[in-house]
Amino acid sequence: MIATVFFYMFAVFLLGSALLVITVRNPVHAVLFLILAFFNAAGLFLIAGAEFLAMNLIIVYVGAVMVLFLFIVMTLDVDFAELRAGMAEYLPVGLFVGLVLVVELIMVFSAWALAPEAMKLRMAPMPKDVTNTEALGRVIYTDYVLYFQLAGVILLVAMIGAIVLSLHHRKDVRRQNIADQVSRRRNEQVALVDVEPGQGLES
Amino acid sequence: MAVGLEHYLAVAAILFTIGVFGIFLNRKNVIVILMSIELMLLAVNINLVAFSARLGDLMGQVLALLVLTVAAAEAAIGLAILVIYYRNRGTIAVDEINKLKG
Amino acid sequence: MSHLDFTAARPEIALALMAMALLLFGVFRKSRVVDAVNTLALMALAATALLVLFVPGSDRIIAFGGTFIVDAMARVMKILVIFAAGIALVMSVHYMKWERMERFEYAVLMLLSVLGMMVMISSGGLITLYLGLELQSLSLYVLAAMHRESARSAEAGLKYFVLGALASGLFLYGVSLVYGFAGTTTFAGLTQALKSGISIGLIAGLVFILAALAFKISAVPFHMWTPDVYEGAPTPVTAYFAAAPKLAAIAVFVRVLYEAFPHAEEAWRQVIVFMAIASMLLGAFAGVVQSNIKRLLAYSSIGHMGFVLVGLAAGGQEGLRGVMIYLIIYLVMTLGVFAAVIGMRRDGRPVEEIEDFAGLARTNMGLAFAIGALMFSLAGIPWLAGFFAKYFVLLSAVKTGLVALAIIGVLASVVSAFYYLRVVKVMFFDEPKEPVDPAPFELKLITALSVIFVLFYVVWPGPVTALAQAAIRPFIVP
Repeated sequence: MIATVFFYMFAVFLLGSALLVITVRNPVHAVLFLILAFFNAAGLFLIAGAEFLAMNLIIVYVGAVMVLFLFIVMTLDVDFAELRAGMAEYLPVGLFVGLVLVVELIMVFSAWALAPEAMKLRMAPMPKDVTNTEALGRVIYTDYVLYFQLAGVILLVAMIGAIVLSLHHRKDVRRQNIADQVSRRRNEQVALVDVEPGQGLES
Repeated sequence: MAVGLEHYLAVAAILFTIGVFGIFLNRKNVIVILMSIELMLLAVNINLVAFSARLGDLMGQVLALLVLTVAAAEAAIGLAILVIYYRNRGTIAVDEINKLKG
Repeated sequence: MSHLDFTAARPEIALALMAMALLLFGVFRKSRVVDAVNTLALMALAATALLVLFVPGSDRIIAFGGTFIVDAMARVMKILVIFAAGIALVMSVHYMKWERMERFEYAVLMLLSVLGMMVMISSGGLITLYLGLELQSLSLYVLAAMHRESARSAEAGLKYFVLGALASGLFLYGVSLVYGFAGTTTFAGLTQALKSGISIGLIAGLVFILAALAFKISAVPFHMWTPDVYEGAPTPVTAYFAAAPKLAAIAVFVRVLYEAFPHAEEAWRQVIVFMAIASMLLGAFAGVVQSNIKRLLAYSSIGHMGFVLVGLAAGGQEGLRGVMIYLIIYLVMTLGVFAAVIGMRRDGRPVEEIEDFAGLARTNMGLAFAIGALMFSLAGIPWLAGFFAKYFVLLSAVKTGLVALAIIGVLASVVSAFYYLRVVKVMFFDEPKEPVDPAPFELKLITALSVIFVLFYVVWPGPVTALAQAAIRPFIVP
């Protein structure tokens, strides 16, 4: 009962904030509503018993990826009001198509049937009396280590890609070189000169 | 599972549609397009978690975990491409991306 | 439930390690790093190809709990993908110098995208497929946008990225529905689950998956990105896009359709037939108005993928063999044309507009002849290689009763001949412009070899047929 009440609460907030993400004018607000959507989705995950994913979604996803979004939105100085200008044009058609899609999908799902053999074919049945996190850990590092490693390579590509695309070595900026600074010696850098009064110094 | 599978599927279907809708609605604005894609992937994850609970099978959650990882990688690359695009053109509007037309 | 069999994935593991080693080498080496990394990357590709050929074990190895398959098709397609990547890398060497975009990460990303395609080709389940797909797409997004100073390159990367991310969202939604119906994501498991009937939810999932895969081969109606990305991306990257990812995606099509969903055949055949018709027609008609050679080749590739889908819809031994023969011939023709296009520069600037080809025959007969032969072959003029490619898939369609599809194919081929021949006409009969700069040796060699293949395929078709036959062996029911 309580679970049902919470389910509807999370669901309503999730869908409401998702709608706001795609319609608000201010991009910073859009990112913040996206974060709210993620929090509510984490609530739905909890009700379905996926604790590890719920925490992951908040700590890793909201903590890292959404902050990256926020960072980019704030860095790029973009006039968003102008970008939203054409929206009213697409709205009626889009709304119609969207409604049709939703109704169709929900009709498809209204009575979900499993394949007769589905229970037999499961790849990693949930073990009893083990926490969700431990159960996940037991499969991803053993039977499904291939997936785990491939995900690692994908992250490597993302890292290389982000660096290749956005790292600029500008020639006209002076950079700190710690090794040079430390290895400076007094006699290389300082010269004592006896200056005669009234003569000045020739460089 | 305390709540029926169909409820989860309906929420995910609506969320997915909002994501697709957001892409078409904001065709000019790449940042909002990226956020709409995040919404679509979130819908997928809700589906996966719900099926995982219904089937009593961990695979759905493993896949959801992988989707989160890949989505993070995708966001990083997407934003990097967006940044170089902005550097070159001084705007992020997709509609102005017509240098390649005709 | 499974034993992990790392020997099956030996080529992939080796390739991943070599790519990482090259990355470290590139970061720490100070001078002349790009040339060294390019050479080493070519050696890495060769080593991977050897490993693919010599994966020990039986004809069909199933590893990682059924999620990874090494069979004859996987081996053949992997070799072809590695070959395409190697050629594309060779074609990039001079281009990168000309355009001042020399970066060692280019070769590393190429190796990682090859890794992604190999994983796709070997995937035995939807999750492996997804990870392979993402690995290759993410590398390709970066390669498309690699020329940072060019707004066009950034634009190509951005468009490719947005549509690619949309496609992978659709794919995942489909995967989640299929998983929810069948309780498994391996192809073998799906076949079993579908034996006793399919549900409407599963069909919805299958359609989402097919839509995403169609995006990867740029079949209509998911072709929107192709011309823009082809035009904007650096040309060797375009050549790579036109060749390797399409091969990998078609291999995935064959696997998904014939290994995972043979019991849903009525459902997917309609989708494939529709995409085939739409792609062939769009490729034929939209190509007519193009003035840029890269855009023209983009529409050409859309049309060619339509023909490949005809073979896929026909199925059976003849259909699938036709698909494989088509892919091999398409690969050789595409790489040859792109090598010629990359080599064409006038006063150090690339020549991409078709009208700039005017009178090429009088200033550079060899090049004009080569491009002409390849254009004739792409158009499917007898008795060049491209004709036989089309002939085999259309014949298989007729034999399986898809006569209407075959007729549309012939019509599309006639219409598309118009724009290929226009290029030839411009080169041979228009007033000549200034001569083009001499092309580097390796580009000339690639074009020449491709032309020789196209001209003499008719004399000696045996090896290609044998290769195609070997590739489809796992899918022939004895």
